[in-house]
Amino acid sequence: MTGGASALRRGDALRLAGAAAALLAVSAALGLAANVLRPAATRLPWTSDWAHHVENLAFRAGVPVTFLEGARTRVGSTNGITFDARIPEQYAAGHLPGALNLPLEDVERQLVAHAARLHLDTPVLVYCGGADCTDALELALKLRSLGFTDLTLYPGGYAEWVQYGGATRAGDAP
Amino acid sequence: MSRVRPASVWLARLGVAAIFLGACVAKIRDPAAFALAVNRYRILPGEFVNLVALVLPWIELTTGLAVLAAPARLRAAGAALIAAMLAVFTIAISLNLVRGIEASCGCFSTRADAAVSDGWNLVRNGALIWLALATYLDAVRRAFPRRAPEAP
Repeated sequence: MTGGASALRRGDALRLAGAAAALLAVSAALGLAANVLRPAATRLPWTSDWAHHVENLAFRAGVPVTFLEGARTRVGSTNGITFDARIPEQYAAGHLPGALNLPLEDVERQLVAHAARLHLDTPVLVYCGGADCTDALELALKLRSLGFTDLTLYPGGYAEWVQYGGATRAGDAP
Repeated sequence: MSRVRPASVWLARLGVAAIFLGACVAKIRDPAAFALAVNRYRILPGEFVNLVALVLPWIELTTGLAVLAAPARLRAAGAALIAAMLAVFTIAISLNLVRGIEASCGCFSTRADAAVSDGWNLVRNGALIWLALATYLDAVRRAFPRRAPEAP
């Protein structure tokens, strides 16, 4: 490859670079035009506040993140516990199988109720409503401050779980 | 390269073009989901994530078409861009593997249940880079016949 590129004369290399630039320019024009012509509901903003996206907040806070496949594995495992950080009414309407409700208010008191199942090194998965909520991340940070060492955030949350056909449970029981 | 049979070059062109033309479809249909995949590599400043998500699939489309059906000079440029993109993708996937991020590569699907990246993605990209370079060398030889590049 290096030999091939260096064998090009300067003029040929410039013509090749010009062709590459043309491809890039056409691609950029098509990509931007397609977004403008897209229905408003599916149009992507030119910029978004990715710095405050929950996944990036978790990354900067050092909270491991898992996605749908990892969440399915953890929820199906008996080695660990899943906490739903949403309010009790949302939890009762539907939650991941086996998940315990642990809304942010008064976490310490509520943890006492689960003390028999919990150790500080128990693998813990936390989730909330979806990518637009930060309650699960806040819960993970709270649990970490209480000494829990194996915390993972599922940012897709209940909304993604349901969207991809995951089983759910309703009511106050896990 | 001159010893490579034309049929082999055609297969390389078809393979590279098919992969890239197939890869761009889901990303063009759902740029928001692809932007999330781009963000998960945590390489780009946030200000550029959406622009890359909007433009990159179209680069895959135009370079795929160029490799498949364009004159030799444009084909060489397309193949060179594809090889460069594959190199960047491979580095990005490697970074996520090293960080232990269990994310899909966002290569062909933007769905949340797409397979998580693993070492196989790197092997596949290595093979595709080799095919893209073979396509590039053949196209350069045809586009600039006076000083053809030597075989690697």
